[in-house]
Amino acid sequence: MTAPANLIRADFLAKHYPVLSGAFRKRVTGTVRAVDGVSFTIARGETLALVGESGCGKSTTGRLLMRLVEPTAGTVRFDNIEISELDARQLRAVRRRMQLVFQDASSAFNPRMTVGALIAEPMDLAGLSADQCRARVDELLPLVGLAAEHAGRYPHEFSGGQRQRIGIARALALRPDFVVCDEPVSALDVSVQAQVVNLLTGLQREFGLTYLFISHDLRIVRHVADRVAVMYLGRIVEIADKATLYRKPQHPYTRALLSAVPAHRPGTVRARTEVVGEVASARAVPPGCRYHTRCPYVMPVCRVDDPELFDLGGGHRSACHLVRPLQ
Amino acid sequence: MDEAPLLSVRDLTVAFDTRRGSFEAVSGVSFDVRPGRTLGVVGESGSGKSVTAMAVMRLLPDSARVTAGQVHFGARDLGPLTDRQMQSIRGRGIAMVFQDPMASLNPILTIGWQVMEPLMLQLGLGRRAARARAQELLSLVRIPSPAEIMHAYPHELSGGMRQRVMIAIALSCGPKLLIADEPTTALDVTTQAQILELLRDLQQRLDMSVLLITHDLGVVAEFADEVLVMYAGRIVERSPVMALFDRPGHPYTEGLLRSMPPLEDEDPETLPAIEGNVASPFALPTGCAFHPRCPYAWDDCTRVLPPFSPLGEGHDAACLRHGALTA
Repeated sequence: MTAPANLIRADFLAKHYPVLSGAFRKRVTGTVRAVDGVSFTIARGETLALVGESGCGKSTTGRLLMRLVEPTAGTVRFDNIEISELDARQLRAVRRRMQLVFQDASSAFNPRMTVGALIAEPMDLAGLSADQCRARVDELLPLVGLAAEHAGRYPHEFSGGQRQRIGIARALALRPDFVVCDEPVSALDVSVQAQVVNLLTGLQREFGLTYLFISHDLRIVRHVADRVAVMYLGRIVEIADKATLYRKPQHPYTRALLSAVPAHRPGTVRARTEVVGEVASARAVPPGCRYHTRCPYVMPVCRVDDPELFDLGGGHRSACHLVRPLQ
Repeated sequence: MDEAPLLSVRDLTVAFDTRRGSFEAVSGVSFDVRPGRTLGVVGESGSGKSVTAMAVMRLLPDSARVTAGQVHFGARDLGPLTDRQMQSIRGRGIAMVFQDPMASLNPILTIGWQVMEPLMLQLGLGRRAARARAQELLSLVRIPSPAEIMHAYPHELSGGMRQRVMIAIALSCGPKLLIADEPTTALDVTTQAQILELLRDLQQRLDMSVLLITHDLGVVAEFADEVLVMYAGRIVERSPVMALFDRPGHPYTEGLLRSMPPLEDEDPETLPAIEGNVASPFALPTGCAFHPRCPYAWDDCTRVLPPFSPLGEGHDAACLRHGALTA
């Protein structure tokens, strides 16, 4: 069998969390629908960006792909392997090929371990010899822009940007195919963000990595992504290649997000979409279209009928009744 | 242009004593805020922008000392005021809004009570009058159904609503100057756009001055009239907002502007990043603190603290390149 063009394929993925109440937290009084039926594919070597506001389910989606969170429903295929069917041992083998870069890398570091030991840790756990680990650490340090002598230092001696580089080296240690970058530059100073973005895009080119890039920053997403999926309350509401999404956004929420990005320079007159209210709660998802409570174009149908992702051609899909094709 | 400034800060220097020794967080900072105008202060973590604001409000932590400089609010020198006298400036003269409203709101008091409190303590209103005024203030900041929100507790509100409450409290005693320290940083983009819109509208209606502290040049572009750029505790450039974006005079400002990925224009393959890391306050580089990261630096930059060179009406930059050109 030939390798599929898609490295990742998610179908109808969902994660619902029970809301527990009562003195002993034993009574289930509701459900948080963190991720509520998302399907997408990521091609080899591609960057798919997931954008959306806090609580939209983008981080949970990233963790579902790696099975760090067990799905309530749906399936994930990684390189044609159905990962929800794997047992613990098989899963460990697959996980070596998928890695995660966090927003705050250093929160995952043991402060008493040297940088060299931190980068070697995943290789050590995977059963590589000490010599192999050392050799790979020596390769990785310059790759992420750190010096060889940094291996003997401790994380607290580094700035935020450098710590993020250590986190990236750790993620790359086992030569993964797929990396979930979860807000990788959001905690960094503005002057350092561009450096880390350049590092991530450079490594992708060099090693043919596939990225899921989770971010709320639409400027950075436009720079790094090939395709963009916009999430709202646990659903993908629009997905398209980058040029289409930024130039011809079809979903009112995508338009609102784009119009809310502060201007690049003063005096720029940009069409401001009237954004009303705030994100509804994932505990009480509105009926019909989830966005109807904030949408300026709301129609009666939106309050009752949950729109599917309508195909607009060229891989552009949008879940809005306004773009529903005529039957 | 020659209008007397509302707030005038001259040569402000603030030192912190820590276990690792003492350092200057703010060095020789001078600026004016004019009546009815917005001064944006841009800088990264550790640039001294928040410490400057806290020094103006006389809210510095115990480990910090103002070692030099004067702060005038109108004709009044704030330096010799007693804590009691300063208390009457806070709220009625200068009010402040912070990044994290949850840290400023009392979790066990109702919103109504917290808005009423300064009205009763500072303005001496009776309970009934304070309640009526509090409700007015909540509708001024466009909180839907203010009468109900009066009885709500902070945890029942979203981040955007809490920030609106903080703005209502800040405005309660009719301040002439509002200091907003990263007021939208913790908020989602669509909420950020709404809060900025609200602040701009209130500023015009109430004829307030605003000192807006942010790391986001986009926020500055949309909101500020004049801008200060701070780096490592010093002002490196001050400028009317248009000139700053058109003709940045300091290499740091230039680097910040260039490293911001565009939302509409052609996107470069590699972002023009500022190299290196933000200077540590314990090991400030000699001469110009930016010189290790500056693409234009030469020998003199490592020795000489650059003076301000005039670049235009109200536009100066502390960079030797301009000194060399004009001298």
